[in-house]
Amino acid sequence: MTTPVELSRPLTFRERHESKIRQWRLYAHMFGKSFSSMLGLGLVVLFLLLAALGPWLAPYPEDTVGAFNMANKLMGPSAGHWFGTDEMGSDILSRVIIGARTSLWIGLIITGVGAIIGVPLGIIAGYRGGWVRAVIMRITELFLAVPGLALALAIVAALGPGITNCVVALSLVWWPGYVRLVEAKTLSVKEELFVESARSIGAKTPWILWHHILPNCMSPIIVKMSMDMGMAILSAASLGFIGLGAQPPAPEWGAMISVARTYMPDWWWYSLFPGAAIFLTVLGFNLLGDGLRDILDPRSRDR
Amino acid sequence: MLTFAFRKVLTLVGTMIGIAALTFVITNVAPGDPARLVAGPNATEDMVTTIRTEYGLDKSLPEQFVVYMGDLVTGDLGQSIVTTRPVLEEVLRYAPATLELVFVAMALGIIVGVPMGMLSAVYKDGPIDHATRIFSISGVALPAFWFGIILQLTFAVDLGWLPVSGRLPLVTRPPETVTGLLLVDSLLAGRLDTFWTSLRHIILPAIVLSFPCLASILRVNRAEMIEVLQSDYIVAARAHGIASFRIVAIYALKNALLPTLAMIGLRFGWMLGSTVLVETVFDWPGIGLYAVSSALSSDFKPVIGVTLVIGFFFIVANTLVDLAYAWIDPRLRSA
Amino acid sequence: MTGPLLDIQNYRLDIATFDGPVHVLKDINLTVNRGDTLGIVGESGSGKTVLVRSVLGIGPKASKVIEGSIAFDGQDITALSEKDWTKIRGIRISMIFQDPMTYLNPLFTIGQQISDVIAAHEKAAGHGVSSKAARRTRTEDLLDQVGLPNPAMLFDQYPHQLSGGMRQRVLIAMALSGKPDLLIADEPTTALDVTVQAQVLDLINSLVEKLNLTVIMISHDIGAIATIAKRCAVMYKGEIVEQGLTADILSAPKHEYTKRLLAAVPDIDTASAKVAAEPAVGASPKPGILLEAIDLRKVYRSQSGTEVTAVDSINLSVATGEIFGVVGESGSGKSTLARMLLRLIEPTSGDIIFDGKNISGLTGEPLRLMRRHMQFVFQNPHSALNGRHTIGDAIGEPLRIQTNMSRRDIEARVEALLDIVQLPKMFKYRYPHELSGGQKQRICIARAIALNPRLLILDEPTSALDISVQAQVLDFLQELRAELDLTYVFISHNLAVIRQICDRTIVMKRGEIVEQGETERLFLSPQHEYTKALIESGRKTSRAANLSAPAGS
Repeated sequence: MTTPVELSRPLTFRERHESKIRQWRLYAHMFGKSFSSMLGLGLVVLFLLLAALGPWLAPYPEDTVGAFNMANKLMGPSAGHWFGTDEMGSDILSRVIIGARTSLWIGLIITGVGAIIGVPLGIIAGYRGGWVRAVIMRITELFLAVPGLALALAIVAALGPGITNCVVALSLVWWPGYVRLVEAKTLSVKEELFVESARSIGAKTPWILWHHILPNCMSPIIVKMSMDMGMAILSAASLGFIGLGAQPPAPEWGAMISVARTYMPDWWWYSLFPGAAIFLTVLGFNLLGDGLRDILDPRSRDR
Repeated sequence: MLTFAFRKVLTLVGTMIGIAALTFVITNVAPGDPARLVAGPNATEDMVTTIRTEYGLDKSLPEQFVVYMGDLVTGDLGQSIVTTRPVLEEVLRYAPATLELVFVAMALGIIVGVPMGMLSAVYKDGPIDHATRIFSISGVALPAFWFGIILQLTFAVDLGWLPVSGRLPLVTRPPETVTGLLLVDSLLAGRLDTFWTSLRHIILPAIVLSFPCLASILRVNRAEMIEVLQSDYIVAARAHGIASFRIVAIYALKNALLPTLAMIGLRFGWMLGSTVLVETVFDWPGIGLYAVSSALSSDFKPVIGVTLVIGFFFIVANTLVDLAYAWIDPRLRSA
Repeated sequence: MTGPLLDIQNYRLDIATFDGPVHVLKDINLTVNRGDTLGIVGESGSGKTVLVRSVLGIGPKASKVIEGSIAFDGQDITALSEKDWTKIRGIRISMIFQDPMTYLNPLFTIGQQISDVIAAHEKAAGHGVSSKAARRTRTEDLLDQVGLPNPAMLFDQYPHQLSGGMRQRVLIAMALSGKPDLLIADEPTTALDVTVQAQVLDLINSLVEKLNLTVIMISHDIGAIATIAKRCAVMYKGEIVEQGLTADILSAPKHEYTKRLLAAVPDIDTASAKVAAEPAVGASPKPGILLEAIDLRKVYRSQSGTEVTAVDSINLSVATGEIFGVVGESGSGKSTLARMLLRLIEPTSGDIIFDGKNISGLTGEPLRLMRRHMQFVFQNPHSALNGRHTIGDAIGEPLRIQTNMSRRDIEARVEALLDIVQLPKMFKYRYPHELSGGQKQRICIARAIALNPRLLILDEPTSALDISVQAQVLDFLQELRAELDLTYVFISHNLAVIRQICDRTIVMKRGEIVEQGETERLFLSPQHEYTKALIESGRKTSRAANLSAPAGS
């Protein structure tokens, strides 16, 4: 870069943040160029809108809180009920829309708790090494040694079915993934010269963790959290489907399919639409995460 | 290499003990009195006390833990309340069905996933690559239970090509049990028609189970292939005039296979977990279905038993992956 | 035998980036005749690697030929199909690469990799692939030809079992397997130790003679080029600014850039014109010993329990105001020693005395406070700065950690420091990746002097930089020392640089000091065998030696 002329006047905001502005423009450019990333963003935005505005968008909001109308039960898709009705005569479209909010909460809590427990443990394990790392990683590996869904099933079975217990169980099996990710990343960042450089100027450990290690671990964490939003929603719906998660009259997608399954194959729309909602939501978060990885990955940044 | 293998087996035993401890903790976090749970809602106070003594629930937790571990070592996983039979016996009866399903699904995932990953890496950013990207991310995002229902509706109910559920029709006499895997046993018994029937039964659940696994194998293999293809030694191989096909199919694939192997190990465990969904949808008589029905009837011992067995299979699979790693990578072998 | 073997005419190449196309090669004209040895000299970013890779059809992906042609043996190869390339690549043109560590596939044996290349050539030539045994014999011959001992055993070994020098020989063997018309060597010695460098250059020279090879060698190291190449081209920012006989260019450079480049190369055989480091003008209040190490040892224990002594019983003392040199090849323990002096690595045993105070037992807060008096400048400025912090944050960090200065005072101090290292104040809003290597190293120095330390430990501060930048940074370091009354411990593998700036020097080998003394004395009359060998190898690749002798022998 050419050496700029020294200026006496104070710099404008634009001049001071020129580097950042270019970086964000580059991100936006790369993200916008990818069809699948934009599709993911679109799906996620749609899902968030449904979750935020659900009660106002749903055509029959009362159907989601236990109202029933047996005269209308199990009607196919029509102008009045786009997605048809269920065995209580409730509007499936309304229940799917309201279900978005439940799913959003489930996803946020599980991912959030997972990250809040996992990230600090991972950083400490990676940076401290020695017996601290050994203890943390042994416990983490133990949790990872049993497939998540099977372990969650066992925990829910112990706690009893229900949506709260389902979220608790999934949160308990979710954090080890973050520990492993962050530990591995910390191990490599720790070896960077700038960490040693910070030590050589007398920085304390918390300062190094906060200013140097964590910011350099953020990219994979963000990507994982984006993808995990989808996977957590999917897992909760799975438990709901088995009958151990949200309990039926609740407008939760997995639980809806669980009931709908008994009305197969003649009343196909009953299971089709909630399932499509799960699929599109999870797809959205995964595509978004994938797109974020593409732009945040340092290996693709040089271009 | 031998000491490496020995260390791995030791780790396996250690992890198994850890998982046992974990299940013990889960058993004891359950709110309420386990004895009362066992006794049922109509039991008198006396009955509850008797059960408490009988099950050793009046002892302190460490004592209970020692007893629990001792039972596990002797293969005593407790008794199912519903069927009143030993859990171990039932798990062993159901396990082959699950393993058969998982093996077929895994084979499907590898056979399709690895070549597709290679193709999309070689034609990166081309139409094939975009197609596989959407395909693979869809694969991970598809709810297995819903996908299963859709496949049932389409291929079994509407088109009638394949059976809806189960392992074999009730009228078919199963072949003599040797391995417990119907596909193998029917061949061993020389009964091709049974082989064909069981193959038709396994197709849909195997596809549902393998789809997400196939997708992630594809993605890992693609990512690794792309990275390896950009590496210096591949540039050098190109510069020395080695044919492109050979570079991709032999040189690069071997390097890319290492992380793919790790993913296969990981996905094996994931599949074992997902059997609880797929087996429920397809009424597949394996340990997943057994765990779910037990959990729904508050029969806790079988759930723990299945968790332990699934954990065991998973660790064995991971140990095998580690050994395969060392077999492929000379740097690990000499370490 | 008509026309030149390689003829590059008006060649222009662009690479597309987010900020628009970059002109990587501008109007390149170059001819190579059979039997020629051509050297291409240039610093990083000069486009020399892109140029030779284009000759082999393995140029960068997003590149586009704007105009011009590359003709090999009369055939235009700029738009060759992948199939036609297989008849040329590795067979008629082959290449030796820079870093032998990464250019061999780690999962295949040496033998298999070379025999595969042989098989590929046989297939491309049209006659069938020979038997496995025949290829094995040929491979072992090749390994023998490049001077590797025990080829039969080597055949079944994996790359990680070989040293860097051996791997480079394997790569050379691979490149020779097709009996190429043209051999391209891309910085073949850069990643190697000085003594190994000399050996590899000797090998290439003897092969050129024996096999009558045509060679293009690219390097940033003029000395290495002068050893091999009779003719030479100088590249700067995508252009060839000068070409001709190597001897002519070295003795009478015409282009401004070439002159600058040659002037910047430190010469191992010239005594430095440094300002004599007499305890300067009595300005420093207490001359004497600033830093002392007594019986310093570092032992690493590997997982399998074997012990490796990285640094063994080092005693040294650094006088206030001097530049104290530490020289050694990779693995000599010089970096470990440097880090121990600063207590970045815990010594296994021994004492470190700084300014009369034993600091080897300090922990916690006293250690933290002591750090402000002694600072470290790292080898690689590219990774010594956190990519997520602005330059202002980076320079201000020591002030924020060690002092109670207000934000405004820190801002002011940062600007003053940028001034001292001769960079514009604007830079405090920039991020490291936007700066050049030399600028980054200045930032690292600014960061190191922010707290007014008394001692700077410089760990190969210029080895990641281009030669012309290296010269600037070295000059700047010397100015800075006089200005701020600093003491340096200067670590390097480059003897010429050591001779240029150090007052006293220790020579390290495998964790021990083999020789120490006044730098000039060391160079004029080295006592220890290893020192002699080191200086001899250094001299071999130095320009002066080749100027007096006829170039390329």
